Amino acid sequence: MLNHPSDPALLPRLLWSGLLLLLLAPTLPLTGFNPLALFDGATLKTLAGFVAGFLPPASDAIFLGEVIRSTVTTLAVATAGLALAMLVGMPLAFATTRALDRHALTGASASRWAEAGKSLLRGLMVLLRGVPEIVWALLFVRAAGLGSLPAVLALGLAYGGMLGKVYAEILESQPRGMARALRAAGAGRWQVCGYALLPQALPELVSYTVYRWECAIRASAVMGFVGAGGIGQLLDTSIKMMNGGEVSTLLLVFLLMVLATEGISRLSRRLLESRRGGATLAAAGMLVPLASLAWLLPAWREAGFDSGSLLRFAGEFLPPDASPALLADIGRGALETLAMALLGTALAFAGAALLALPASGRVGRVLKGLARLLLNLLRGIPDLLWAALAVLAVGLGPAAGVLALALHTSGVLGRLFAETLENAPPAPEQALRALGAGRLRAFCYGLLPEVWAQWLAYALYRGENNIRAAAVLGIVGAGGLGQQLYLALSLFQLPTAASLILAMLLLSWLLEQLSRLLRQRLEAAVGQMA
Amino acid sequence: MTALKLTLAGALLAVSALVSAEEAVLKVSAIPDEAPTELQRKFAPLGAYLEKELGMKVQFVPVTDYAAVVTALTSDKIDMAWLGGFTFVQASQRGKVVPLVQREEDSKFTSKYIANAEAGINSLKDLKGKNFAFGSASSTSGHLMPRYFLQKQGIKPESFFKNVAYSGAHDATVAWVASGKVEGGVLNASVWDKLVEAGKIDPAKVKLIGTTPAYYDYNWTVRGNLDAKLQQKITKAFLKLDPKNPEQQAILELQRASKFIPTKAANYKGIEAAAKEAGLLK
Repeated sequence: MLNHPSDPALLPRLLWSGLLLLLLAPTLPLTGFNPLALFDGATLKTLAGFVAGFLPPASDAIFLGEVIRSTVTTLAVATAGLALAMLVGMPLAFATTRALDRHALTGASASRWAEAGKSLLRGLMVLLRGVPEIVWALLFVRAAGLGSLPAVLALGLAYGGMLGKVYAEILESQPRGMARALRAAGAGRWQVCGYALLPQALPELVSYTVYRWECAIRASAVMGFVGAGGIGQLLDTSIKMMNGGEVSTLLLVFLLMVLATEGISRLSRRLLESRRGGATLAAAGMLVPLASLAWLLPAWREAGFDSGSLLRFAGEFLPPDASPALLADIGRGALETLAMALLGTALAFAGAALLALPASGRVGRVLKGLARLLLNLLRGIPDLLWAALAVLAVGLGPAAGVLALALHTSGVLGRLFAETLENAPPAPEQALRALGAGRLRAFCYGLLPEVWAQWLAYALYRGENNIRAAAVLGIVGAGGLGQQLYLALSLFQLPTAASLILAMLLLSWLLEQLSRLLRQRLEAAVGQMA
Repeated sequence: MTALKLTLAGALLAVSALVSAEEAVLKVSAIPDEAPTELQRKFAPLGAYLEKELGMKVQFVPVTDYAAVVTALTSDKIDMAWLGGFTFVQASQRGKVVPLVQREEDSKFTSKYIANAEAGINSLKDLKGKNFAFGSASSTSGHLMPRYFLQKQGIKPESFFKNVAYSGAHDATVAWVASGKVEGGVLNASVWDKLVEAGKIDPAKVKLIGTTPAYYDYNWTVRGNLDAKLQQKITKAFLKLDPKNPEQQAILELQRASKFIPTKAANYKGIEAAAKEAGLLK
């Protein structure tokens, strides 16, 4: 065996795997995730009873009426929220984009005051999008009471920060020639933007906005979990009451809604290609937000809105609590959050790899179809929703978060992995097969090396996303910083909540830096290999 | 750009329309200490009775968590709410609210410690190193007072138990203990008695292991700026409920009250002190 090692790189491979396992080992006690607990008698019985209750889906008229109203509210909230986000994002993008900088267009030196102002606005956008929309929603629900208005405000702020940044970048990525020419001819900032940049960038801007609308619908559907109305609130109640029939109806409606939005989004991208389609799209872009407002307005009018109490509430957050006891708690919460994300992503990587093989069509048509269906289901249900369901299966705490992240991320990664498998050059594997290697070996040494770096890059990117997600899963009871935040806000300990939000922001920022570093290393390594 | 202007105009219109809100409806809510359908079932006959007595429409606003009821009452979104002792203290810290009446039982309320029958637990001491469930974090009888009394006995939940979880509601705590998800838990004595009477507790699964000392709990509270005459009318309507009248006895039965008595904010000073001592109020 030693004379003819079947794998010359066996030792380093084993070392790396061992190192990874060593890194994952502490996540088990930290999250209390015990795969065996899933199969423990009592859990299985509770779960079996609940799942058996899924059939038949609830279909009585009163409930269905409620579901339809809530679904329309969810759609209206997403649309109105995105409209508000555009109102926030467009001026921010216009003010901060480097594409309109005088010094970039004419070569004149930059004004220090203008630059400082722009930095300030950019910082504001980082803050707006750094706080997850579900946290914004929770804050507004606490400040302004229940209902759909907090959800719209939350989407408006979180997505406003995102749109502002991306709109600015889209403008910056356009060719500058026309803008320079107009500027040289004496045109002002508005004119350069309106006549040179916008016409070039419009398709990209619209297409990104439509994509964000799709995301907003998923986000709006889960905001109900913090009391912000819509289909999520119904789901929350049905899950708490362990009413399986209602849960299955709601999940079906949710999946249909996500599918329908994806369809509309594809259609609108196609419309964008013709002038007539563009006009239709513009008309829809005007009418749909107005219809949404009309739908939401009566409830808002009844609930009332008091900006004074909102400001008082905001004031109560200051100053953030920095007592050593709380900082220790936050440290523990952050560690729990990191462990949840790490273990969840690792499990998802394994699950995705397993599902990607049939999904790429390597083991027959039927299995391909089934695997794709499963992947779509896993991916289509947002992690927060999985977490709410997982809390039932494994109880409150970080273990539910691990399960939720593992399930949702398996779906996301599985699809991407299957695509890389399909796109990888088949020659090396075929050559190994022709030389007499078995199926498994040919796959491991012919195909896997082709896709491995890409898989790792995807996993790294999702891992980063998952830390951000893990930080908020606790809002539905799945441990980590989110659970502490929910508790603090429930007890009106607002300075504590402020510190927790700052910790979330810090964690997310640190992570972005680390991931950028890692990705650069990875790219360099891949470059060397090539 | 027209789209932008139209949306802007729409939004402005929306905001201006929101400022005015005055209606001849009494909006009532309750902390969700039991399943939402149970709350609605309990309230329906009481709501009908109040409508008749007050001569105005009474609307029940279902709410999914405790803190939301506090926010809604102190920001005048609802007129009256059924609060627990702790949520009442939170509400009076955050705005002007007036407690009107409480059940006779609420002046000597208790909580019950329960354990999974198969876990071999006979007293609180046996729960050391086991999993334990409170109800909602904002609950008086499901969290604050049991925590306070545990601490008086030298038990700090976070270090004494293996894991401290919040089930969200009293009936959920029982379900958790019965399923073995947690070995022990604590809930409101009134809900416990109701579940026992209804035969919803399987003695083979859940057993009682202790009771807390008595304290003041639930009351019906209105927002401070509600018309004083209306406040009086509401109080009178509650106090008038007579157990000898079969129709009214049914209402009292659902509220699990022998009768209603007047209450005052001073009754809850003890709760406030306990909340401060337990670290739930700063």
